[in-house]
Amino acid sequence: MTVELYFFQPLGTNSGRVFLTLLEKGVAFVERELIGPEFEHLQPAYLAVNPRGQVPSLVHDGQVYTEGRAICEYIDEAFSGPPLRPRAPLERWSMRRWCRLIETDLGRSLMMIHWNRIVPTFVGGRSPEEVEKILESVPDPDRRRAWRSAYLQQTPAHDLAESQRRLRSGAQSIETALRAAPWMAGSSFSLADIDLLNFFAFVAQWSPDIVNEVATPCTVAWIQRMEERPAVREMRARSRRRATPPPR
Amino acid sequence: MLELYHWEPNAACARVMICLAEKQLDYRSHYVDILALEQYRPEHLERNARGEVPVLVHEGRALTEASFICEYLDEVFDSRPLRPAHARGRWQLRVWQKEVDEALAPSVIELAWQRYRQPLLAGRPGEELRQHIEQIPVREKRDLWSRALCAADPEQLARARIRVGRALARIEAHLSSEPWLAGSDFSLADIAVYSYFNYLPALCADLLNEHATPRTVAWLRTLAARSAVRAALSRGRGEDPYAVAAPGPEQIRWG
Repeated sequence: MTVELYFFQPLGTNSGRVFLTLLEKGVAFVERELIGPEFEHLQPAYLAVNPRGQVPSLVHDGQVYTEGRAICEYIDEAFSGPPLRPRAPLERWSMRRWCRLIETDLGRSLMMIHWNRIVPTFVGGRSPEEVEKILESVPDPDRRRAWRSAYLQQTPAHDLAESQRRLRSGAQSIETALRAAPWMAGSSFSLADIDLLNFFAFVAQWSPDIVNEVATPCTVAWIQRMEERPAVREMRARSRRRATPPPR
Repeated sequence: MLELYHWEPNAACARVMICLAEKQLDYRSHYVDILALEQYRPEHLERNARGEVPVLVHEGRALTEASFICEYLDEVFDSRPLRPAHARGRWQLRVWQKEVDEALAPSVIELAWQRYRQPLLAGRPGEELRQHIEQIPVREKRDLWSRALCAADPEQLARARIRVGRALARIEAHLSSEPWLAGSDFSLADIAVYSYFNYLPALCADLLNEHATPRTVAWLRTLAARSAVRAALSRGRGEDPYAVAAPGPEQIRWG
C-alpha cells in the first residue's frame, strides 16, 4: 500500500490541507514536491498524473485522486486513524458548508489578491514571450485567464475591492462560529478546521487589521490551539519557503 | 417531518427533489417564487441568510446547498442509498459535485437565463423590478440580479458554452466505460449532472445530440424514464420546469 502526494511548498492552501489531513490521520506518505516557480506542474511528467495540471494530487495504490476537498474526505474514509469528520450528520453538513465557503468564497478571494501581488515577481526575469509560452501551457482556460490577469496586472480594481470585502465579512462569520463552538463544525475538530488553517489563518499575519485579538479574539485563540496540535507542528517543520519573495 | 422550500423542479431544486423522491421520503413542500424575489423576504432570509433555495428543514434546522443537503439526506435516511459504497466511488461523487457546483451550474444557468429571461420578465415594468432588486439585502445577490438585467456579455456566454462543452466531453468519455457517473450504481452524481444537463437539449443541441454525444443522450433518456425523476419534475407549478430559469449561482470569481 503506497501513498504519494504531489504538492507545492511552502505548505498552505490546497497542498497544505491535504498534507495536514494525512498527518492528522497518521498516514505515512511519500513526498513528491513540485517546484511552482519552475512550473513543474505544467510539464509532461506531472500532466500524466493530473491532466489539468492542478496541485495537489494523491496517488493511492496506483490510483490518482485530485481536487483537494474530495481528497481530504477520501483520506478520512479510506484510512483508519482518528476521524476527521463529525459523526452527527448535521455537523457533517456544517463541515462541508464551511469547507466550501473557506475554499471557494474566501480562498478564491485570497487567491485573487495574492496572485496579483506575487505573480509579477514569480515569473522573475523571464521575457514576455517566455511568460506567454508558460501561460499557453496552462490547461484550464479559466485558470489561464487568472494567471494572465495577475501577470499583466489587469484585474479590475472593483474585483479586488470585492475580494477584500468578502474577506472581512468572512472573518466575521468565522468569528461568530468560533464564539459559539470550539471548532468550525461544532464540538469536534474536523476537515473544516484543517481548511481554515490552510486557507485563512495567514490572514492574521497579512492583514492584522482583519484578524486580531480585539476584532476576532476567538479566531486568534483558535489559531493558537491549532498551532499547538502535533500534526500542525509537524507540518510547519516540514514546510519550506522557496525563493519567492513575501507579498508586499 | 421534512419540509422543503423550493422553486420549480429544475437545477439545484431538482437535485434535492429527485433525491427525496428516489429515497421515497415524504416532505411538506413550500413553493418560493424566485422570479417574484420571494427568497429575499425576511421570513426566508431567517431560514437562509443568503436567500437561496432549496432549503431543507429537518428537526428545526434549516439546511442549504444542494450537494450537502443530498449527502445529509443520504446519511440520515438509509432507505435506498444514493452514494457509492466504496471510498473511491465517493471521491468520484465529490469531484462531480464540485464540477457541477463550480463550473456546470453557473454556466448552464447563464445560458438558460439568456434564453428564457425575456418571456419571464415580459409584462413586468423594468423600473419596478430594478427597485425591487436594489432592495435585496444580500450584497452578492443584489449584484447577481443587477447583472442579470443587463445585456449578456458575449464573451461570458462563450466561456459558459466552453465550460459546458468540456463537462459534456468528460461525461461522454466517462460513459464509454461506465454506466453511471460515480461507482457502479446510479448515485447523487447522476442526479446532480442530470439536473443541469436536462436544460441542454433546448440550449446547446449542437453540442448535445445523438451524433456528437450518443452515450450522454442515452444516459439522459434512462434518467428521465425513472419514476422518481418523473415524479419530482412534476411537482412544479408550470408546465415544463426546464422552460424557465432564474439567475445564479455566480461564476467562480478567480480561476
